[in-house]
Amino acid sequence: MVDFLKKYEGLWLFVHSPAAIVAAIVAVLIILGAVFAPWLALVNPYDLSSFSLFDGLLPPAWQDGANPKYLLGTDDQGRDMISSILYGARLSLVIGLSALTIAAVIGVGLGLAAGFYGGRFDAIVMRIADVQLALPAILTALLIDGIARGILPTAIQQDLRVAVLTLAIALSLWVNFARTARASTFVQMNKEYVQAAIMMGQRPIRIMFVHILPNILGPLLVIMTVDLASAILLEATLSFLGIGLPADSPSLGTLIRIGMQFLLSGEWWILWIPTLFLVALVVSINILGDFLRDVFNPRLR
Amino acid sequence: MTKRNLRNSTLLGGALLFCAMGASAETLRWASTTDPQTMDPHAVNSAPVLSFLNNVYEGLVRRGQDMSIEPSLAASWEPLTGENGWRFNLREGVTFQDGAAFTAEDVMFSYERASNEAADVRSWFAPVSEVRVVDDFTIDFVTTAPNPLFPDSIANFMILDKDWAESNDAALPARDAENFATMNVNGTGPFTVASRDPGVRTTLVPNANWWDEVGHNVTEAVFTPIGNSATGLAALLSGEIDFIQPIPLQDVAQVEGRDGFKVLEGEETRVIMFGFGHEHETLLYSSDVTDANPFSDPRVRLAAAHAIDIASIDRVLFRGKIEPASQLVPAGISGYSEANEGRPEYNPDRARALLAEAGYADGFSFGLKCPNDRYINDEALCRAAASMFAAVGLNAEISTGPVRDYWPQLREDDFDMYLLGWSPGTFDMEHPIRFLMHSQDDEKKLGSWNFGNYSNARVDELLPMIQQEIDPAARQTMVDEVVAITQEEVAYIPLYTQPLIWAAKDNVDLTQRADNFFMLRWVTVN
Amino acid sequence: MVYFILKRLVQSVFVMLAVAFLAFSLFRFVGDPITQMTGVETSVQDQERLREDLGLNDPFIFQFGRFTGDMLQGDFGFSYRTRQPVAEMIATRIPATLELGVVALIISLLVGIPAGVYTALRPRGIATQAILMTTLVGVSIPTFVIGIMLIFIFGVQLGWLPTFGRGGTVQIGGWESSLFTFEGWRALLLPAITLGVYQLTLTMRLVRAEMMEVMRSDYIRFAMARGVPMHKLHYKHALANTMVPVITIIGLQFGGVIAFSIVTESVFQWPGMGLLFLESIRFVDIPVMGVYLVVIAFFFVLVNLVVDLLYVAIDPRLRVKDV
Repeated sequence: MVDFLKKYEGLWLFVHSPAAIVAAIVAVLIILGAVFAPWLALVNPYDLSSFSLFDGLLPPAWQDGANPKYLLGTDDQGRDMISSILYGARLSLVIGLSALTIAAVIGVGLGLAAGFYGGRFDAIVMRIADVQLALPAILTALLIDGIARGILPTAIQQDLRVAVLTLAIALSLWVNFARTARASTFVQMNKEYVQAAIMMGQRPIRIMFVHILPNILGPLLVIMTVDLASAILLEATLSFLGIGLPADSPSLGTLIRIGMQFLLSGEWWILWIPTLFLVALVVSINILGDFLRDVFNPRLR
Repeated sequence: MTKRNLRNSTLLGGALLFCAMGASAETLRWASTTDPQTMDPHAVNSAPVLSFLNNVYEGLVRRGQDMSIEPSLAASWEPLTGENGWRFNLREGVTFQDGAAFTAEDVMFSYERASNEAADVRSWFAPVSEVRVVDDFTIDFVTTAPNPLFPDSIANFMILDKDWAESNDAALPARDAENFATMNVNGTGPFTVASRDPGVRTTLVPNANWWDEVGHNVTEAVFTPIGNSATGLAALLSGEIDFIQPIPLQDVAQVEGRDGFKVLEGEETRVIMFGFGHEHETLLYSSDVTDANPFSDPRVRLAAAHAIDIASIDRVLFRGKIEPASQLVPAGISGYSEANEGRPEYNPDRARALLAEAGYADGFSFGLKCPNDRYINDEALCRAAASMFAAVGLNAEISTGPVRDYWPQLREDDFDMYLLGWSPGTFDMEHPIRFLMHSQDDEKKLGSWNFGNYSNARVDELLPMIQQEIDPAARQTMVDEVVAITQEEVAYIPLYTQPLIWAAKDNVDLTQRADNFFMLRWVTVN
Repeated sequence: MVYFILKRLVQSVFVMLAVAFLAFSLFRFVGDPITQMTGVETSVQDQERLREDLGLNDPFIFQFGRFTGDMLQGDFGFSYRTRQPVAEMIATRIPATLELGVVALIISLLVGIPAGVYTALRPRGIATQAILMTTLVGVSIPTFVIGIMLIFIFGVQLGWLPTFGRGGTVQIGGWESSLFTFEGWRALLLPAITLGVYQLTLTMRLVRAEMMEVMRSDYIRFAMARGVPMHKLHYKHALANTMVPVITIIGLQFGGVIAFSIVTESVFQWPGMGLLFLESIRFVDIPVMGVYLVVIAFFFVLVNLVVDLLYVAIDPRLRVKDV
């Protein structure tokens, strides 16, 4: 009953929040576009034979010299912008979501355990978190990238760039989850239901995941949305610094990095269209995150 | 006007603002992407260092605006009689910036310093067997074999003052720790370093006692490295710097379209090419051909050459600013083979036919390695080329990376095909033959950048003969033969000569030399 | 209490060592320093000799031992790229990064706190929605795009502000400061705003959330009932109560600001530690990279330690728990 009310209340709030509605629509559209990219896109940007340099640098359809076939123009390789963006969003979302999942599993697991056991274990986890915090995301990415390069044969490194990048982003995000989970667990530990479960001699794993976890999901969900946005931005930043993805498997971040070269040259669409798209995606996710926070934390309304 | 004065306060600190206001008109502020690593002319053999220090130090010979060799600290030179080598007659009355007189002892000292194991430039002196001071203003460089190009090859060999270096504990170039010469200079050149903040700002002022006629009107020159090209261009357009080298190709139109700015376009001497793993038994990165190396077949290499649409690359990626290349040096460089000016035309049908002939009618996949921070548009070029290769059935898996791990990969033979750019250090065809076409030979230090180990006995035989031939016509005949062989066998696919694009304010007159060196002595600020 | 501090200090040392170890193990994979230190014409033998001389052929654990050993003795080594002492290189770059970070933080507080208060007090106002939306878009654009946009608007198009570097600096006892000249401030403005955007949004949201919470608390309601004037209520009672958590979190974020200044410094050619670090990566300048990482780790550990101690001072319950 309580659950139902909560859901109902969330829905009610949702219907009354135009920003959340718009954000949800934008996010759903982008996600659908990304999922169905292979069917929606004109060309496959990964298939080098599907486009040609001959069509390079064409402006969007409404400008002079455009080819109506390419609605938003083409980049310097002759790739259709729309196709690149759809595939790029796909890759960005895959990286963002997988990084988030890894970060959440590591972070929540460690945070819960740290909060539950406290003492020495807690201290160790939190010091590991300190080490992680002291290595900024950029450096973590370099580290992971470097280690992968050191231990993997070069032949498969290129294929694993996405996995490596994902892991690097995940490692720089898990601390957030761990800290939040730990703090929330501390609060829950003093609650009677946890004390009761402990007294009843239930297994710690069970107490943590069955009793405590559902009660701290709210703040974690908020972190998830905010961190999804950070993950997507972080990937873009790493690409800008040259430790992201190669240009032939473009994510949104890589597309922006490529577009930066055309900032002044007149081919504005190569930079601004992917940027606009990225901002729309990230803003939508952030708005939804805010909305979730309001739902889970009614006092802020 | 106000702005410029304000900027000057930057250089001298706010307190000195008033002093700076007088002669500001001839201050030149320029930027480039890389800071010279050191002020020591023998420690690092890299373009940023040599380019910068050529304003401060001088060699026995120097290059003019058209790259020709002209007298500098040596007033003249002639071949030795009775043995191999060259005699240099030094200029008299030259002083170092600290006032010490320049003599043959300084040349001798600089030779010993630059050819020491601690020096990175020692390869220049590999042909030298002995150096003899004849008198205060005459010095002999004896070489192991006739070496007609030796004077040309030491244009960047800069002379230090013996006493200055020795009394400051800088008798050898710094290798793992700094020494006095890392941050301080004492050359004979037209400018001297007034202050240096590595990676941030280096200020040069004219040398009042320079021996040569002063052709510039610069009273102060400030160099700032700006790594991000968009930031650099913004600095030029906002008026904070007067000159920048280089600017990205795609921004040329933007700069030209603005009042008060100009673009200087030229051809660098660097030729961009694809190389092959000639010697490999099998492809390393293929998903379909795993038991052979198709690139050991010249027909396959020729097919790859025919697949390249250089005109589209020029039009889209380089905005019409590249010169297609037929060989490893551009036209105009000595030794350029006019007899072999043709390059394989863009002909996908012929490419497919050649592949079929070689037994790869369905094509095959392979790995293409490219740097992404070394040459203009290097990564974009590789992507475009891969798309063109794919059109004839050559499916390239591209792998790009920064040079810091690109060179090691090439050294470890970890490629099927790779991208390379080569600028002939001596401005002669012999240079790429020595480094890129001769078989790898660590002992003789030949073929050290011939990563795929292209090997042809006749080319190996011709190289020493070319190096020693005094008669230009006979030499050219041999060079022509090498170029013909390597074209016939498609040792490399030469693509184009890299363009050189600088931008400056309209009121700055300067000379763009083909080696991308920026010489302050040719600058006038109007 | 003393025991607690000591314990945290010991833990901090371990954190530093772990960072140093991780950082050091990274170097071997970044690339080959030798190819970056030598010219194209340098022979393979000469390259090998240099590699041997620099100890790059030694086993990893030896190299790490030498690195930490030297560092503990205060010897930070010499840069491969410039051959200068690393300690000196980093030391001359610290003021630029710290000033940039602190000014970015101050800007974010000066704008973020009032904006947070305002949006908390008028949660339904149009201006509130506009502020919330603008800052949301602000944090959704990658930092490097914001930086370049600011450069082109205020540097190139309007010509109001410099596009790169630190402008006028003044030496104060070895500390090169841009805070004492007009030119210095002009140069500082754009990079500080770029770096501060994220902090600003964070501060604003924190203040807003805390403020809204405090406004609902009993003692504020009580004060309201007692007839304390509204503005006094807002600024003296409510705001003061929000400051402890806000300052704590902002403090914790400061380490992140310093680390993230890498991107800003690269866009604005700001001669701080981050720019030096990026150059060092490009040239595989192992000694500089190592010391940079350790310095950054030191900042983090220091800030964390201070914040933890503050926590303990404020909240006695934690004291009991930890002991």
